[in-house]
Amino acid sequence: MKETKTYAGLWLRDWFGIFIHELKLIFSDPGAMVIFFVGGLLYPVLYNLVYANGTVDEMPVAVVRLSDGSYSRRYLEKFDATRECSIYCECVSMAEAEQLLRERKVHGILYIPRDFDSCLERMEQGHISTYADMSSFLYYKDLRIASSLVMLDEMHSIQLENYAAAGFDGQSAYELVQPVLSDESIPYNKPFSYTIFFISAALMLVIQQTMFYGSSMLAGTLRERNHSFASLPDRLQGLGMGRVVLGRGAAYLAVYLVVGTIVALLVPWMFRLPQHAAWWEVEVLLLFYVVACIFFSFTWGTLITRRETVFVLFLSVSPICLFLTGFSWPQTSIPAFWQAFSYLFPSTFGCRAFINLNTAGGTLQTIAPEIRALTLQTVIYYFLACAAVFVENRLHKKQTVPAKVQGRDGVLS
Amino acid sequence: MMKDIWQVIRREIRIFRARPVYILASVGAMIFNTVFYLTFMQDGLPHDLPVGIVDCDRSSTSRSFCQQLDATQLTGVVYYDDIHLARRDMQTGRLTAYIVIPEGFNDDVQASRQPHLGYYVNSLYFVGGALSYANILQMVNLTNGAVQRQFLRARGVNEAEIMARIQPIVLDAHQIGNTTTNYGVYLNSVILPGVLEMIVILITVYAVGSELKYGTSRHLMQTAGGSIVKALAGKMAIYGLIFTFLGITLELILYHWMHYPIRGSVGWMCLAILLLVAAAQSIGLFIIELIPNLRLAISVSAIFSVFAFSVAGFTLPVEAMPAGLQGFSAIFPLRHYYLFYVQEAIFGSGFAGWWKEVVHLLIFTGLPLLLMRRLEDAYINQRYERD
Repeated sequence: MKETKTYAGLWLRDWFGIFIHELKLIFSDPGAMVIFFVGGLLYPVLYNLVYANGTVDEMPVAVVRLSDGSYSRRYLEKFDATRECSIYCECVSMAEAEQLLRERKVHGILYIPRDFDSCLERMEQGHISTYADMSSFLYYKDLRIASSLVMLDEMHSIQLENYAAAGFDGQSAYELVQPVLSDESIPYNKPFSYTIFFISAALMLVIQQTMFYGSSMLAGTLRERNHSFASLPDRLQGLGMGRVVLGRGAAYLAVYLVVGTIVALLVPWMFRLPQHAAWWEVEVLLLFYVVACIFFSFTWGTLITRRETVFVLFLSVSPICLFLTGFSWPQTSIPAFWQAFSYLFPSTFGCRAFINLNTAGGTLQTIAPEIRALTLQTVIYYFLACAAVFVENRLHKKQTVPAKVQGRDGVLS
Repeated sequence: MMKDIWQVIRREIRIFRARPVYILASVGAMIFNTVFYLTFMQDGLPHDLPVGIVDCDRSSTSRSFCQQLDATQLTGVVYYDDIHLARRDMQTGRLTAYIVIPEGFNDDVQASRQPHLGYYVNSLYFVGGALSYANILQMVNLTNGAVQRQFLRARGVNEAEIMARIQPIVLDAHQIGNTTTNYGVYLNSVILPGVLEMIVILITVYAVGSELKYGTSRHLMQTAGGSIVKALAGKMAIYGLIFTFLGITLELILYHWMHYPIRGSVGWMCLAILLLVAAAQSIGLFIIELIPNLRLAISVSAIFSVFAFSVAGFTLPVEAMPAGLQGFSAIFPLRHYYLFYVQEAIFGSGFAGWWKEVVHLLIFTGLPLLLMRRLEDAYINQRYERD
């Protein structure tokens, strides 16, 4: 029994030593501190500033009206009154409207042909054409929604008038025009604001990416100076990876529970984003997510041998990770290969869980599948990180002597 | 003169061959990103988005409604017995929307009692939510039309008149520059050049800053015959060549091989990417001249180039941003590339449309001249902290 106790005691002592050592490393490295604290906090704030509005309201539209009558006038009045669009001016020809589109004074054209009013008066179909500037999907969406909503509204008005002319009016005409009523409910993000769906995903991603860049930078620095971060106490004879990985991990956990709390709880509060989950539920998710991110960073950080190369090599992975969360292009439409690829990243599950928990107001039960996936990632990446330490330790011992003879490896080496 | 530059180029080629990071981070990263974005949204528009249906009526009318919704390309129907299960699945992002058909729906329709159809749309996932919403709206509308059609037919109204009564106004929507509303075309046209811009800035800063960090800058200055202009010209030449090659290849892949819609000419788009590369290289040089410390300069360029995607204006238009940020967007070369792209590829307006962007991008290329002396000083005196 006594021996077990000393083993546990020794383990704890090593673990604690490594934990404190790593914390010292983090806090004495201004570069890592900038990434963890400035990067981790700057991005959420910048994004909130840029996406403060999230929707394009009163988008300017040019109107080409060749038909002069009450139907087209009423359509345009209603169109101008929508939240999405406003009429910038009436043009005499399409050429003039196209010129305005090219000059970017308007982002859409509404074309009412010569026979529009006369068709409707004859009880025939009237046609309206819309031309959307496709340089941003929000322009397209605004023109589409505004013209369709007005079309539906006008449709009902015209139908009622027609039925009244045919001798049906009052309630019976109303029932004919709308035999089925619909109740629409668009919870979470009623105006389809870009802000809410982008920032909910971006917040969680910032946690994973800053941790990966920062910790890899620290590891790269150590490797550059020819101390492997993975060096194990000599008396362990190449064993004891667990306490190294867990000790270093604990240091990042301590830092990131603070950063994570600010990013996932304080920032949404500051910018009045929806917060439908209890604070402790978000903390539980953070705990699982941050731990998975730590071992993920340790595993992939093994590839980084110099301080700055992590950015040069892996910065373009950030937007890719964002798309893999399915925040924009729907998850169900992601090709199978990229679905599988997305399982490499904790952010895939972390972002989805955060959106469902915090923005959609789910409970821990609703995000249980994501939590399970994060746990599985944690276990796998933990063993991979340990294996990486073991291998690096072996290689390092072999290389230490020649490396010292060689001196600093310059850019020309 | 040329001899010194040639010496610097030869020296740079040696570095390039010794450090795999350069080729991996430029050509490797660009290939990976191009393959990713082009295959990720290859369908252009999503199809079979899952929409839940809670059918409490189980009548022929409700069944036909579901079948019609299922038959559209955009949505696929998933049946639920319990409204709570449907709600939970929407909350977990598995459904883009769900519809509740109330009990007695068919009877109420037949008796003109106007039953209520409830639908709930998940607006947290942008494209999926917005598209399902549009589709459901259309289906509800069609259902209303079908009931009216039955009524009018029973009264002996002819088909042409029925159509005019059911749908008096028809909207023909046209999309300029992207007729099929292909989401991949829309995003990739700007994201991929943005990725290239990011790579160019990072590698430029890394290549120039490494000389400081590893203390080899005096050797570089010696090779260049003591001239900072020659040193930088030689150093940038090889990367400029690689980036130009990557840029032109990208434009050819997008507009020639993938047949992305373009109203103007591919040649002018190649000019745009050339200018983007030159501007990005200049921004990279400017950053390392301003902050002659590799670590800090890399962090700043990382923040700069990631942020460029957001303020370029192709997702959220610039005019929807707060007024203070609108002017700020002009300092990102990607913003000007995007405006060039809008004029050339979408409107095909030619030189008259995009000459201002050319001027803007050229202004960036002048930036490194401003602070060149500062870098020269750092290169010769090596007074700055290395890490």
